[in-house]
Amino acid sequence: MAIHEKSLIEPERLLRHDTLVVDGVDVSGHWNTMITPRTITDYDDDFEAVIQRYPGAENVHRCWQCGSCTNSCTMYAQNVQFNPRYWIYAVRTGLKEEIIKDKDIIWQCVSCNKCTSICPKDVRPEGVMKALSHWLEDEGHTPKSPSRVFDEEFTEQIYARGRIEDSLVLLNFFRKTGQPLVPQWLRVFGVRLMQHLPVGLGMRFARNFFFAPRTRSWGRTGEVLKQYVREQKEATHG
Amino acid sequence: MQDTVLIVGAGPAGLSAAAQVAGVGYKAVLVEKEDVLGGAPIISGYARLVPSGEWAKDAIGRMVKRVEDDANVAIHKGTKVTELNGEPGKFTAKLSNGKSVKAGAVVLATGFTHFDSVNKPEWGFGTFPDVVTTTQVEQMVTAGKIACPSDGRTPERVAILLCVGSRDRQIGREWCSKICCTVSTNLAMEIKELSPKTQVFVYYMDIRTFGLYEDRFYWKSQEEFRTKFIKARIAEVTAAPDGRLLLKGEDTLVKRPIVIPFDMVVHAVGMDPNMDNPEIAEVFGVSLENHGFIERGEHYTNTCGTTRPGIYSCGAAYGPETIDDSISQGMAAGARAIADLHGLTRKAG
Repeated sequence: MAIHEKSLIEPERLLRHDTLVVDGVDVSGHWNTMITPRTITDYDDDFEAVIQRYPGAENVHRCWQCGSCTNSCTMYAQNVQFNPRYWIYAVRTGLKEEIIKDKDIIWQCVSCNKCTSICPKDVRPEGVMKALSHWLEDEGHTPKSPSRVFDEEFTEQIYARGRIEDSLVLLNFFRKTGQPLVPQWLRVFGVRLMQHLPVGLGMRFARNFFFAPRTRSWGRTGEVLKQYVREQKEATHG
Repeated sequence: MQDTVLIVGAGPAGLSAAAQVAGVGYKAVLVEKEDVLGGAPIISGYARLVPSGEWAKDAIGRMVKRVEDDANVAIHKGTKVTELNGEPGKFTAKLSNGKSVKAGAVVLATGFTHFDSVNKPEWGFGTFPDVVTTTQVEQMVTAGKIACPSDGRTPERVAILLCVGSRDRQIGREWCSKICCTVSTNLAMEIKELSPKTQVFVYYMDIRTFGLYEDRFYWKSQEEFRTKFIKARIAEVTAAPDGRLLLKGEDTLVKRPIVIPFDMVVHAVGMDPNMDNPEIAEVFGVSLENHGFIERGEHYTNTCGTTRPGIYSCGAAYGPETIDDSISQGMAAGARAIADLHGLTRKAG
């Protein structure tokens, strides 16, 4: 029987041979589709200790799966796949594959720390999310983050010379992360700045410096003004 | 006659009742069907008691010595009460050793019977030697060595299954046995102390380490002794080709089937009504409640009462109970019996 609701099954669990003959019967294509079971057949007792060595995840073993973290989670409200409780459980029982499967979601933690505030066992789930992101990066499941590239360049310069050259750190950081020294946004910023610079105003400043023109239709206004001020002073002080 | 209380059962509750009765100058007659005093903690060889952490033989041993040294306590070991006649203030009991006892009141401190795991055959007890009960592990802890019964190896991984013989309508056990969660978390720590490399997993439906047992046992076993708790009621225990045990079930927190290998599986057995309760009910003329434990009288003004005046009860005879509370209740039942006898004397005088 062909399996129609394949969308309900994780793609990696669907097995299919394009051509297959069993006992002389041609079952090529979807006729031989099989689903691998979801059975957990063992625990990895060491995985928890590995994750606990990352700062922030020290208390992961305290979790009793109440679900307060997930219930309070900012990201869970956006995406039900973002489930800290589940990942903590996967860490505790060593379901490494489950963590790897969610590698593109775990880093989305916004560190609002609502989970950490609400956790009745002081597990600090926010720290666990960070630890998992770092572990995924260390194991090469996710690419190196820019901050790690920066750290490496910085450290290499220290190792080599005992000091850093700021411009060299930045230059190499931009190069290693594939960023142009003058990125697109900076270019646009410059062009727009030039376009809207008040050039005419500057030229008027310069002209006025040399020629000091009078205000239009000033006439005798200056003399009248001087006279008025003098009269006011006399009226006040005698 | 009105200065004597007949106490049936010499476990923590009965020993406490006897000490109470004797302590105020009344006479206690203690009848115990086994040949040793101390009840389940001694007969089943419990290790360290919850929550004191004292070895059972020391703690309960002191209770035994206290009544043995008391001239006001007469002790009949290996003896049962076969017949009871009379009314409050003047009961006559016939004992299986041929003697008869006249007493003004009776305290039934008849306790419980450990659930027999063969009644849950799907969990492998009796089929696989490495499936054991908490009582057996208590004995291992007392002996100072955790080992698989099949070949004596130290288990790398131990599973403790909670609610074996409790909370199970299928086998007519519709009660929580109250102490198994705490006992199991305590055992998990003791296993770890004796064998630090052993991983202990507890399979649970709920964890009911009530009151002050929460952090001292549940949290401590999880946080300091690294016990892992898996929410799954196991469907079946089978054997793997390599001789290890396979635990089958559903991990309800991840909605996935599990088939996990273990070296040893421990049944956290519950507390059944004393298997002699039908006989006890008949001999003493008291009723049993619908689970088979001794039926409590009206509790508010007839504390420690049963359905028959002049006959009192306490501890695990009433239902699953802790050792500490059984001791308190034994004392209460002893005091209640004396108070009623005193009232009768006063009325007569």
